[in-house]
Amino acid sequence: MSTNVIGKSITRPDAYDKVTGGKKYPVNYSLPGMLHMKILRSPYPHAKILSIDTSEAEKVAGVRGVLVPDDVPKQYFTPVYFVPHNAPSMVQDFVLMSDTVRWAGQPVAAVAAVSEDIAEQALELIDVEYEELPTVFDPEEAMKDGAPQLHEASPNNIAKAPSFAFGDMDAGFEEADHIFEGVYETQRVHTCYMEPRVCVVDSDTDGRLTVHSSMQHTFGLREKLAYALDIAESKVTVVKPTYIGGGFGGKLDIGFIEGLAALLSLKTGKPVRGEHSRGEDFISTTRNPIKVYLKTGVKKDSTYTARSIRSILDAGAHATHGSEVIMVHGLYGTFFPWKCPNQLWEGFTVYTNNMIGGGYRGYGAPQGCFAVESQNDEICETLGIDPIEFRLKNTHREGDPHPVLEGHKLASYKIEDCLRQGAERIGFDKRKPAGSSTEVKKRGIGFACHPLWVSGCVGFPDIYEHSGATVKLNRDGTADVISACVDLGSGQISMLTAVVAEELSLAPENVRVVYADTDTAPFDAPTHASRATYSAGLATKAAAVETKKRLFQAAAAVMEANAEDMVLEDGMVMVKGAPDSAIPMTDIIARAESPFIQVGEQGPAPTTIAEKGTIIGSASQAPPSNPSPVGAQFIELDVDTDTGVVEILRVVYSTDIGQVIHPNSAEGQVEGGFQQGMGYALMENLQFDQETGACLSADFLDYKIPTSMEMPANIESIFIDSNEPSGPYGGKSMSEMCLIVPAAAIANAVYNAIGVRITDLPITPEKILKALGKL
Amino acid sequence: MALTSVQSFYSPEDSKGVIELLAKYEDSALIVAGGTFLHGLVSRGLLSGIEALINIQKLGLNQIDVSGATMTVGATTILGQLQSCEQVQKEAWLGAVKDAMTYPPVQIMNSGTVGGSISSSCPFFDFPVTLLALDGNVQAEGGNGARTISLDEFFAGLFENSLEADEFVTGVTIPVPASKSTSAFIKMETNANDLAIINLAVSLSMTDDGSCAGARVFAGGGVGETPVRCSAAEGILSASKLDEDTLEKAGQAAADELDPLSDHRASAEYRKAMGKVLLKRAVTSAIGRLA
Repeated sequence: MSTNVIGKSITRPDAYDKVTGGKKYPVNYSLPGMLHMKILRSPYPHAKILSIDTSEAEKVAGVRGVLVPDDVPKQYFTPVYFVPHNAPSMVQDFVLMSDTVRWAGQPVAAVAAVSEDIAEQALELIDVEYEELPTVFDPEEAMKDGAPQLHEASPNNIAKAPSFAFGDMDAGFEEADHIFEGVYETQRVHTCYMEPRVCVVDSDTDGRLTVHSSMQHTFGLREKLAYALDIAESKVTVVKPTYIGGGFGGKLDIGFIEGLAALLSLKTGKPVRGEHSRGEDFISTTRNPIKVYLKTGVKKDSTYTARSIRSILDAGAHATHGSEVIMVHGLYGTFFPWKCPNQLWEGFTVYTNNMIGGGYRGYGAPQGCFAVESQNDEICETLGIDPIEFRLKNTHREGDPHPVLEGHKLASYKIEDCLRQGAERIGFDKRKPAGSSTEVKKRGIGFACHPLWVSGCVGFPDIYEHSGATVKLNRDGTADVISACVDLGSGQISMLTAVVAEELSLAPENVRVVYADTDTAPFDAPTHASRATYSAGLATKAAAVETKKRLFQAAAAVMEANAEDMVLEDGMVMVKGAPDSAIPMTDIIARAESPFIQVGEQGPAPTTIAEKGTIIGSASQAPPSNPSPVGAQFIELDVDTDTGVVEILRVVYSTDIGQVIHPNSAEGQVEGGFQQGMGYALMENLQFDQETGACLSADFLDYKIPTSMEMPANIESIFIDSNEPSGPYGGKSMSEMCLIVPAAAIANAVYNAIGVRITDLPITPEKILKALGKL
Repeated sequence: MALTSVQSFYSPEDSKGVIELLAKYEDSALIVAGGTFLHGLVSRGLLSGIEALINIQKLGLNQIDVSGATMTVGATTILGQLQSCEQVQKEAWLGAVKDAMTYPPVQIMNSGTVGGSISSSCPFFDFPVTLLALDGNVQAEGGNGARTISLDEFFAGLFENSLEADEFVTGVTIPVPASKSTSAFIKMETNANDLAIINLAVSLSMTDDGSCAGARVFAGGGVGETPVRCSAAEGILSASKLDEDTLEKAGQAAADELDPLSDHRASAEYRKAMGKVLLKRAVTSAIGRLA
């Protein structure tokens, strides 16, 4: 397909603003007379609040308002943006403040004052009397009879226990020539977005709220905030942030600051700002740890015969995302990516006194991929099977029915190209047998793939999916795009700009993604689930098509031709096949917006009614399908077997994302995804004192992520030539896949280097030395 | 947590002004230069009583002098400046300093200072361990004038040193060795912004026949409240041929001398084991510098 803009890496419209300070980040938003909120948090992981005395805090000069649990509506709901607050598939156990604390860090009071310093000082004067309760931090302990109970409605602390099965497990394992069993564990990690969670909430005298926040879903925030405060949704206006400083799923639920700031604003009549410290961010959202018990039966011909999976997810104090993460982990992380005739999956979302969980790029799949792809590697190693052929034998193929979505096909699905091209690029055929090097520094090559993922949530129960946009043409030949789709930093502004520029034959610099809020823009689901390009891209393209239709109608009136015969090329409207008829589209737009009777040389003359009216189009629609991106990542690394230190030397990631909309941004996604995946594999770990529940890694001095100094110099992206027929210009999704595969790929490369497998993340130097028997 | 207790920020032009402020505020003043460790201390609640910050960057203490028998480095010399010093780059005996300067990220290299690295008295820092191995001294000034403090007397505990309340560090001195010497430093870290899991510096004075005449070995990181001298390892290295067997024994001795802590960065067991590996590697690297 010939395109002008798509596939050309337009200059990102937000780039200059960001590199010169990014004044439109929500963290930089302020209002005159604004108060500052600080939150008092429980030092205990499980306790009953017996009393709270705020009298001394209220006396501090500059303190304007104080909140305690009694001041907060007792609305129990699901704080996750992309589902209704009362979604049956989720758990409604979340409340803004409660007399029972279930994790160290749960808010117990909030203060609004004229400065942050005063608010902090006032917090120190609040006297809370607690009765400590017994704690449980290990989900498997929490499931046992007699364990401390966190929520009355959930015996044995099991918030949700979904399962799926098909085939005959006994027969399947009976048929197997070999059976492999393993336990794979993952840890708690943070998305490490750069901008903290921050909001400014203002209130009117009639109780209407206006909210600015660093978050991933304007409409989700409106719904959850209104419900938490027990007010009508129409009383809340959420302004879409121009951009935010990263989300990665970590800003995909309402949390506490917006609700508490709103109550304090209503109480004081002033705008109230709340901002997390990095330490508060670290205890507010995390990827849920999942322990996976995996048993697989394999025949001599490399095909699976049966697989049973038991996944135990540590939800922490409240279910939040945990009840959905377990489902996605089960369906798309372990169960359906591979072809296996007999399968059983049982999932458990379990409460503990750990911090609450959240969304994080990949949403349950990195945990699943690490388990399944580690075991796949074990199978190939033990049976001496070519690991690439083994994958291909057990994955779906292009044109196959979609394994989850009835009536849909895997229309674009180039897993074989991903595996073969990646293998060739890294030189996979030259890799040495596992652990065969006699050097202290041992070289390893490994890979992992993930053969099923999403472009949104079509097919999932209870999840919002539709998108909308309005596209308006201006007399100066520019277009305004109104969309509630939030740019997390991952390039949604560029994507929407490119789609509209392509459709309306405009230069990208003449397309502007403009102000939007929940009052003026059509609904859009969150920027999550790798859905924005596919879903918001399609809806915005549809809006641009509507706009073009309107342009042709006006042009038809001016040119006295049929609108159906019109084409738009290089900014000129013309009758198809008649280039002499071409009129600049700006002339049509200008006439459409001009006075009805115009005074010319011959005096006043009427124009036509048909050409009048702003050239504008809107669309609001659900996406037609949920095409799967696929990807394979190959890693070359060294393991220092005296110190256990891993050095990543080379990364090759080959992926089918359909037509690439913006190649530079796509490469950025691959590199950023690898950075997070490398951290997950090797070093990141939110650690807590197992007696007090206190976070031991509450800033970047103690929570380690790969910096540019640890990142490999080369991350090579291969975008397989592909076209998704249902997507915008052949595109589908990208983001999450880039983080689903790295941990498994690194684990397999480490195995190839040292010949010993590590099955719990992160693979620290210490674990490597222990595995080698050197510690 | 914000630095709410700080009321004043001073930038005196001379050391007299610094000393007067220190005398006035006593324990509630903190000297700053690069300020790179401030956030870490604040966020751990370690600066709650600090009312005044005294910036010493206007004192002109950012000089390196290598002309005499003693190398002197001013307190506000940034790490990047030390790294680009010709002698640090070329001289084998300063190899440990060169090594230590390869670890920090560019932001720290461009702001962190030699004086701050020493006077923070943080056992997890790198430069103090190299300086100990090089028999360095601290230059301090206070109400009673200037004095020299040997580095092993300077460090008194975790974030504690032997400075009087009105004294501050003006620089460090390192004796230029009379005989052929070489040194090396290695740090274990998880990322470039990390405190040392364990670090270790060796300095060796060598005879013409390639034997070791004397050795200094210090380890830092999670091994104690101050950097630890590995005397037994020094004894094994001294008067030896530094062959593989000697290195093995010295490494084991160093590990045996360490009584590290277990924390969320690493276990004591791992740190101990790394003491041995680092000693062997540092000695090998130091010898390599003479080749």
